[in-house]
Amino acid sequence: MNILKGEIKNLSVKDSLSLVYVDVEGITLSAIVIDTPQTAAYLTPGSKIQLIFKETEVIIGKGKENHISLQNKLPGTIGFIEKGDLLSRLVVDTEAGKITSIITTNAVNQLGLETGSEVTAMIKTNEIMLSE
Amino acid sequence: MIEVSLHKKLMSANGEMKLNTGFKLEKGEFVTLYGKSGAGKTSVLRMLAGLLLPDEGRIAMNGTLWLDTNNGINLPPQKRNIGFVFQDYALFPNMTVKENLLFALGKKDKSVVDELIELVELGNLENRKPQTLSGGQQQRVALARALVQRPQLLMLDEPLSALDTEMRISLQDYILRLHREYELTTILVSHDVSEILKMSDRMLILEEGNIVKDGKPDKILLSKDVSGKFQFSGEVIGIQKQDFIFIISILIGKDLVKVVADEDEVKKLQIGDKVLVASKAFNPIIRKLP
Repeated sequence: MNILKGEIKNLSVKDSLSLVYVDVEGITLSAIVIDTPQTAAYLTPGSKIQLIFKETEVIIGKGKENHISLQNKLPGTIGFIEKGDLLSRLVVDTEAGKITSIITTNAVNQLGLETGSEVTAMIKTNEIMLSE
Repeated sequence: MIEVSLHKKLMSANGEMKLNTGFKLEKGEFVTLYGKSGAGKTSVLRMLAGLLLPDEGRIAMNGTLWLDTNNGINLPPQKRNIGFVFQDYALFPNMTVKENLLFALGKKDKSVVDELIELVELGNLENRKPQTLSGGQQQRVALARALVQRPQLLMLDEPLSALDTEMRISLQDYILRLHREYELTTILVSHDVSEILKMSDRMLILEEGNIVKDGKPDKILLSKDVSGKFQFSGEVIGIQKQDFIFIISILIGKDLVKVVADEDEVKKLQIGDKVLVASKAFNPIIRKLP
């Protein structure tokens, strides 16, 4: 489980959904939740909040320029790799903190990922949970 | 409505404890008493039943005083109009199911016995002796027997904790059916989170003789501090390591689910732990069952 600490910058609310923009160490990440300031009091700019997402939801792109729809992009370098038969676990050092990702070992091999590789860790907006 | 105020010095495993409780229950409420063993739950039930005398206390049921220590009022258990079910069934072994119920009835109208036998579906077992019945069937008899006097207050002291999951769920349904049918006020002592959520309108948490929380079970038990809308509480029944990830088996109600977890999450877990399982509402798919 990845946990990042941040502060809500702003949010767009439409019916029962809110798109929440959170500042984490100067980087803006977004999360969409089925809550509004009426149903969850913490949804207000300035609130200190945690972003929670599973390792298995973290996508790894090689390099820094990734033309892709994902909004949450954290550039960094691979600090650690543990390869299993099917799955591998990478820890990426980013400005927002250490991000753990679990991807297939095939993907690690195809991309030629190793310790020190420059990568971008990406998380879909709908995979991030918020917690006070 | 029942108004309760009870104060008593009790001896617990950790030494002397002062029980100080006060609460009001509305007619028809289903309330769970929750707390660690030794917190005073059973003592509260026993004092309500008239089996234990508080140092100071008052119990008024719809305006009738069952107990008022300041005025020397203390009705004996048989005059308090209560039903009590314990974890052990305490049935008379030499009597059949029906005789057990009739014995509890005394000289009153016998039609209530047939009605109860029908409600808890014991019709084809009514002439059997208790020891030939399963645990769940015996507990159904105990439940029916607790109600033959048509009590206003039903007290259940961990009645289902000796039963397996499937039997528990079926017994829970019988209890709820009787609770509604007879418009009872029911107090349940339980430690089972899914049972509390399913059965009760309200829960009181006892800690060292004091009520520390009083509210709706879902508000108290379900964590609202994670935004994920796909949330359940369950019990860890298996932890399996596979390479560097772990597969955690969790029993939620009577369904077994599996969750992949990282080592950091697993460090804090052991089999038997109660856990919150949460995911985003965006992930699950829904398929209609045939």
